[in-house]
Amino acid sequence: MWAIIRNRLLMLVLVIFGVSFITFLMSNVIPGDPARMIVGVKASEETYQRVREQMGLNDPLYIQYLHYVKGLLSGDLGTSLRTQQPVLDDLITYFPATMELVLFTFVVAIILGVAIGVLTAVKSNTVWDYVGRIFSISGASLPVFWSGLMVIILFYGVLGWLPASERIDLFVDAPPTITGLYTVDSLLGGNMKAFNNALLHLVLPVTVLAFAHLSTISRQIRASMLEVLQQDYIKTARANGLSSGLLIFRYALRNALMPTVTVVGLSIGSLLGGAVVTETIFNWPGLGKYVVDSIANLDFPAIMGFTIMIASGYVLINLIVDLLYMALDPQIRE
Amino acid sequence: MKRLAIGLLSVLLLTAAACSKQAPTQEEAKQQSEASQQKLVISIPAEPGPLDPAVSMDNNAWKLTYNSYERLIEYDGEKTDLVPGLAKEWTVSPDFKVYTFKLEPGHKFADGTEVNADAVKFTFDRILKVEKGPSDAFRKIKEIKVIDPYSVEFQLKEPNPLLLPRFAGNYASIVNPKVMEHEKDGDLAQAWLSSNTAGSGVYQLAEYKKGQYYKHTPNPHAKEKPAIGTVYFQINSDVSAARLKLTKGEIDIAEGIPVEQLLELEKDNHINLVKVPSLLVDYVYMNIGKGHEALKDKKVRQAISYGIDYQAIIRNIQKDTVIQLRGPVPEGLWGHDANAKMYNYDVDKAKQLMSESGKTGIELTLLYSATTPIWEPIALALQNDLSQIGITVKLNKVAYATMREMLDKGEFDLSLGMWTPDTADPWEFMSPWFDSESWGLSGNRSFYKNDEVDKMLREAASIQDKEKRLKLYQEISKIVNEDAVYAYLDQRQFLLPISDKVKGFKYNPMLDGIYNLENMSISE
Repeated sequence: MWAIIRNRLLMLVLVIFGVSFITFLMSNVIPGDPARMIVGVKASEETYQRVREQMGLNDPLYIQYLHYVKGLLSGDLGTSLRTQQPVLDDLITYFPATMELVLFTFVVAIILGVAIGVLTAVKSNTVWDYVGRIFSISGASLPVFWSGLMVIILFYGVLGWLPASERIDLFVDAPPTITGLYTVDSLLGGNMKAFNNALLHLVLPVTVLAFAHLSTISRQIRASMLEVLQQDYIKTARANGLSSGLLIFRYALRNALMPTVTVVGLSIGSLLGGAVVTETIFNWPGLGKYVVDSIANLDFPAIMGFTIMIASGYVLINLIVDLLYMALDPQIRE
Repeated sequence: MKRLAIGLLSVLLLTAAACSKQAPTQEEAKQQSEASQQKLVISIPAEPGPLDPAVSMDNNAWKLTYNSYERLIEYDGEKTDLVPGLAKEWTVSPDFKVYTFKLEPGHKFADGTEVNADAVKFTFDRILKVEKGPSDAFRKIKEIKVIDPYSVEFQLKEPNPLLLPRFAGNYASIVNPKVMEHEKDGDLAQAWLSSNTAGSGVYQLAEYKKGQYYKHTPNPHAKEKPAIGTVYFQINSDVSAARLKLTKGEIDIAEGIPVEQLLELEKDNHINLVKVPSLLVDYVYMNIGKGHEALKDKKVRQAISYGIDYQAIIRNIQKDTVIQLRGPVPEGLWGHDANAKMYNYDVDKAKQLMSESGKTGIELTLLYSATTPIWEPIALALQNDLSQIGITVKLNKVAYATMREMLDKGEFDLSLGMWTPDTADPWEFMSPWFDSESWGLSGNRSFYKNDEVDKMLREAASIQDKEKRLKLYQEISKIVNEDAVYAYLDQRQFLLPISDKVKGFKYNPMLDGIYNLENMSISE
């Protein structure tokens, strides 16, 4: 087990350098000059050139990259051109919002995905199966920008039941930061008003995002369950008179979960980096929104910092998936 | 006796308990007082860049700080006239090389420090040391001298009769010298001022929640007390959701709503659509110096100018919210020539000019970006219009940052563009647009060069006699109109949906998108 952890951490270092190199190269190939973004459209050539020099943009590319790597080794991801703040500080500020959204989505998507997967497998080729599959497939097929807008119009505009966007009402004080997750921090501080408000704000974005992701889980569970349910040991257990609840959840689901763990792991990774549209529609101040604004302003240090963070996240999630495999399957442990 | 003592004690304890229940804690008192204040929520579609007046050249950042600072001189309400600000009076030497300002005592920064001549000197020295975009406005300054605590003198390297209005711009906001306490690694406090304010305006930036909002509260030491207690600039990246919030009364003003949705909002009884002429113009750059060879021919450029169906664009795309631009200087700014030649849609004339030019099979690229949503339908309309006169237009839609670089380098044939002035002077639409020294992004985006025009432009910029300048500009207008340097599409209106509860908003074309928060109020 330690060997796996060691190898994966080594891989993490390689990934960080690989990603930083590729992103750096790409950001220099794309036309668009960050110095121009800073000085404004009406600045003179003299001012523009001076700012280029100040930013080190006149140095050869490899020198610029070496400067970046030097900073990276000391935990410095550079300064955002747009916000003028250290990129690391920005990422730390925006990360909890995304994490909170992803965690809640993850829980909802797993519960619903597993439930639909099991139901459609057990009741395969019945009305339940068709309805469950259509439901989960429609989640994957409907674009988030459309479903997001529809739920906002319905639940905020027409019914007025739920807030349209943000993490908390403008006039409700956010809880003091402990973890950065408003629901957790408000609970820790015993602030139920903030907790309820933050929870209400989570409902729409989590529903939309979970709806879009649950089909991956439910389809995987359905396929694995159908396979497992045909196994001899299940038939034997059934012949021995085991109750169907025990049979499905104790014996079949546990074995069907194995391949699902990988899918879920990858889906968390894609949620972390891919909640961009959801965050934009629901005005969710997370990493997705940060990176969209950074791309629009050609804020290369911010874009690179974000990419490195997400790539590292993927490697770490893969490591967790491997460790979970070991916990679920004794053969791998051995 | 014992019973009496117990009774008295009980009464005392109960009274104390009752009192303690009535007296709110400091936090509760703060919350109560905030709740009773007027609140204004303005929705902005994106988070702007740094707020430091010595760094930012972006109107979207300026609107967040303009009311937190004061300037030596200010714009007069809705007018483009200059009135005293921090300076109660000023003089300009006859040779336009020395500007002297006398400050009005009693203006205070948010920390209670008085605004004096040292603060003025510090501000402009800092702008010149920071050397970002705003320094361009003041690069002719040689030295700033403090004469006494309330008098300051600007000595210039060369005469500049057009410097005065620059002192009313956002970049001339007077900054408290104490910001240097926040300096880090010799950055002249740029990092701190990028998300804080340090001025003597009526408001101060009290809280900035990244990606969420900017909260402004009154400057306790300001000379004037505003009616609105708290102003939020809330970031709503999805404008459809912002529109919904406006109709539900959750926000008071929504920026960034597309024209067609604005006209729908106009039907809502609780929303007023502010519609005032602005100085923002839309035009097409025709790259004469570095673009397609055919564009060097005046007849081809004139044919393009005649070949555009301006009224169709105004009616179908801009939904009649704009007017056609006549000549380079827009209506509402002195120097506008109501008799200037205006190219109107005339396909036959355009075809005739094309055949006179002898050029056939011309294929031109048209550059634009997705940042301005209305550019897409305009580009398609131009493509269709020009195909009628035998010009094939290839659309080139790129990211805004890429577009700016391509404009600067001249890597395009035609491009859509817009322009808004920094000062109320026709110079803004003349020298940058037509002087060959301004080729590229700094203004002359058609890469036009005409020695006669250059000479007249520089002469007009060096004198203050308004009549002489007007004559020169009219002469120049005639030449550049004949040369068809740009195709003038339209002059926009400033459009802003605003709740009917909000009172007192005034639009100044020099401060496009900036709110006069000190005069605004909310009626419940």
